[in-house]
Amino acid sequence: MKKLISISLVALACLSLFAGGSSESGNTVIIWHSNSGAIGTAFDDIVDRFNETVGEEKGIEIEAIYQGSANDVLTKVKAAAAADTSTLPDIAQFDATAALDMMNSDYLVLPEELGVDTSDIMPAAIESLMSERGLLAIPFNASSLLLYYNKTLFDSLSLTPPETLDEFTSIAPLLGEKDSSGNVTRYAFAGVPATYELGAFIGAQKGLSYFVDEANGHTGTPRTVLFGKEGTFRNFLVHWKSLYDTGYVNNITSGVSTEFAAGRTATMLASSSNLSTVLNTVAGRFEVGTAFVPKTDEEATGGVNIGGGALFSFTSSDAVKTVLEYLSSEDVQLEWAEKTGYMPVNTALSDNPEYIAFLADNPQFRVAMEQTEASNPEVTGVWLPSAYQIYYSFQSEIRNVTENGKDIDQAVSDMEATVQKALDDYARQNLV
Amino acid sequence: MKENSLKAFLYLAPALLLALLFCFIPLGKAFIGSFLTISQQGRILGFAGLDNYISLFRDQAFLSSVKHTLLFTVLFLPLNTAITLLAAALLKTKRRFTAAAEYIFITPLAFSLSALALIFKEIFRGRVSIINRIFGLSIAWLDESIPAMIVLVILGIFLDFAFDYLLLLSQFRGTDKSIIEAAEIDGASGLTLFFRIELPAIQNMLSAVIFMALKDAIMISAPVMVLTEGGPFRSTETIMYYYYLEAFRSGNRAAGTTIAVLMVLFSILIMSIISRRRRDV
Amino acid sequence: MSKIARPALIIILSLLILFPVLYAFSASFFTPQDFTAENAKLLPSSFSLHNYSLALSHRYFGRYVLNSLATATMTAFLRTAISIAAAFAFTHLRFKGQKILLPLLLSTLFIPSDALLYENYITIARLSLIDSYLGIVLPSVFSASAMLITIGAYLSTDKDIYDAARIDGCRDYRYILSILIPLTVPSTAAIFIQAFINSFNSYLWPLLVTTRPKMRTVQVGITMLGFAEEGEYGAQFASIIVITVPFLILLAWGRKSIEKALQGRITA
Repeated sequence: MKKLISISLVALACLSLFAGGSSESGNTVIIWHSNSGAIGTAFDDIVDRFNETVGEEKGIEIEAIYQGSANDVLTKVKAAAAADTSTLPDIAQFDATAALDMMNSDYLVLPEELGVDTSDIMPAAIESLMSERGLLAIPFNASSLLLYYNKTLFDSLSLTPPETLDEFTSIAPLLGEKDSSGNVTRYAFAGVPATYELGAFIGAQKGLSYFVDEANGHTGTPRTVLFGKEGTFRNFLVHWKSLYDTGYVNNITSGVSTEFAAGRTATMLASSSNLSTVLNTVAGRFEVGTAFVPKTDEEATGGVNIGGGALFSFTSSDAVKTVLEYLSSEDVQLEWAEKTGYMPVNTALSDNPEYIAFLADNPQFRVAMEQTEASNPEVTGVWLPSAYQIYYSFQSEIRNVTENGKDIDQAVSDMEATVQKALDDYARQNLV
Repeated sequence: MKENSLKAFLYLAPALLLALLFCFIPLGKAFIGSFLTISQQGRILGFAGLDNYISLFRDQAFLSSVKHTLLFTVLFLPLNTAITLLAAALLKTKRRFTAAAEYIFITPLAFSLSALALIFKEIFRGRVSIINRIFGLSIAWLDESIPAMIVLVILGIFLDFAFDYLLLLSQFRGTDKSIIEAAEIDGASGLTLFFRIELPAIQNMLSAVIFMALKDAIMISAPVMVLTEGGPFRSTETIMYYYYLEAFRSGNRAAGTTIAVLMVLFSILIMSIISRRRRDV
Repeated sequence: MSKIARPALIIILSLLILFPVLYAFSASFFTPQDFTAENAKLLPSSFSLHNYSLALSHRYFGRYVLNSLATATMTAFLRTAISIAAAFAFTHLRFKGQKILLPLLLSTLFIPSDALLYENYITIARLSLIDSYLGIVLPSVFSASAMLITIGAYLSTDKDIYDAARIDGCRDYRYILSILIPLTVPSTAAIFIQAFINSFNSYLWPLLVTTRPKMRTVQVGITMLGFAEEGEYGAQFASIIVITVPFLILLAWGRKSIEKALQGRITA
């Protein structure tokens, strides 16, 4: 028995050897990111190259850690910050959902404080991350919303991608298909718009519309919901409901790309960053086209906001500065854009012959840039508290209106109440 | 026995320390926190009175999560009880081939939560899923509210089934054979024997199993996280998943601590009802 | 129950239970195209071990499995040890505060640990135990129900043995190790196994307290392998099979002792 106990103790001691063991030498820069799939591979390649070249020279090593979705990264960072800021990474990659929390945090280190050179970075991308505290982060993976369409199908019907939702409504019955028993075998559109898509559908109305005050949270913590009283959400729902009523919209919230790749929907809305992945999964079964997001109505001329993500830093060091400048440099942004579909944030690329040649060969990659150039730069992503839950609430209300016949005004006021409550709770707990 | 407090405390120290550190202290912190206004980064901004509680009960999403949890419980509890009871009853007497079935019935123990959830995601993936093809259905399982809840219930049963079944089986087999034989002599057989004699004989264990399942159902969160993430359309957000969203995702400390306190009170309530009932039996 | 209904029910139930296992096994040979086929497939279109080689060559997969085994073993060991020590004190020693401490510890049965996730996370982080086995294990080590089962078992042992052992000069820890534990093997095994399974299957807590891939457990890691995002769904299923098969074998081998342990738990 004694023997058994001592063996177990030895075993336990061995096990605890595996514990902890953070290999933090002074110049390891830890990045928490959310890049997976083809995008993840591209990111790993970039990190590896840094470690072999610039990093090797300057004695800096990047340790890139995948933490799940962009929301998962934010959750981890907030939890770490609440308990013990020493467990924070040096850099984290977030999307717009993190901006408000970062703006009000005391652990964020601004690019300005690090002295990062931002003169080569696309002004629209800088604008998308401007807050009352100044620039919050370094743009890295900028994207915009695109309408992906089955070009082979559109061509066979001699149709062009719809420019407005009304036009979409009129061609939806042509794009859709039913079998003999009346089941839809191909939808005109699949998916349910959420905060990101509404950024275009609401933000573009009347040239520029905000969801909430303080310029969507960019000039200060938002306190009041605007999409209700300005009628923008209502206007969207009216047009969207007509589209749905054609019977060719599939209200699904997962597996949309799979449906698109399998040819079961003619179009979908997705970030330009999905382009490579979509092309891979479609694998030549049909030609994939990308187009501008349809406008809510004729007056909705604001275009789209820049989405995607940026690199937020929590450590003030030269190593972090070096890494941030490397990741936003011309060469890295070129490789990143070609392999993923993100828009390069470095302006030097507009004269880069390799990139120009790439765009000529791959016209789908060009649309995102063109759409951004055609958009009002003041149309920016909305910065909200409880963004994760609000995202799904928008989908619920849209589903309620389309599928369950919920009154549009009721849906708007319910949605308004949900967001207002989130704003109130946030203000009560975070603003003194 | 001679009194030896020092030695006793030494033996008890690890248990006491851990209970204090990971149960009583955090409970106290949550309780106090639920009456305060605390910022995301843990700064106490002031006394909130009952504001946190009032705000929670005005929160539509929280009220919906209560509804979803009740719906899950109402579906899960009877189904789980019926299926585990059936499985145990089927195998209670050893016959030919029961050994194989006994093994098959405990195989879910080998599957971990996330592995099973990933498999379920594929089996129930949309209208073209394998489950629809086998049963000739056309249900968009995880894209519709009620079907998604049903998939969650099935996953819940898979997670609880093997252990509950084992408990009931060993109880059936441990039942005093003479009572059953006596009843058989009296002419009882088949279902009558089962419902009149065998079932009452295991009722203590059965109520323990039901009670554990009830606790699991009301506390369900991890399966929601891996399988549905509360979707589609927030229709499978349960109370504890909502707690996770508020406490960790949104950094809403008020809602987090308040839900924690309410769930502890609720759990104490159920436990006291059950322990009183068991004492009466 | 009629002669036909019973075997029929057993077979139906067995098929339902086995379906996810068998499907996962079959899907572990699927090509990416098999997953997006017009009609969902039950069997792979061709046989290839490609998915398994992808899964096994994953950088962290082995590490995830090791971490899970290590933390589950640690939890089981520590919980069993602590339960034994506490149960011994409550059943064999007389001390001041006995009447208060027992109900106090048992009251934790009423407190759902899931509701204290946030506060416990803060505690573990303040103790600098993020990304450590101890951080994953510690909050779930003490279990009032495990202690209760052990107390039940010790109450049914003969106190005369203890008194005799004391008179012979046997120290308490010797008595626990060489007499008490061998006398109560079934209940000890039951709490050990239950602790192991609980810990191995926990998902949310290890997700929260690990930030580095080499510290993640299988439960967390398997959702982050990244195969699905690359369209390699088959490799995801291959990984599931790889971590599940050892447990299936273990179950076949240990089924009898698990059943016996549970039987012991009831009679205890």
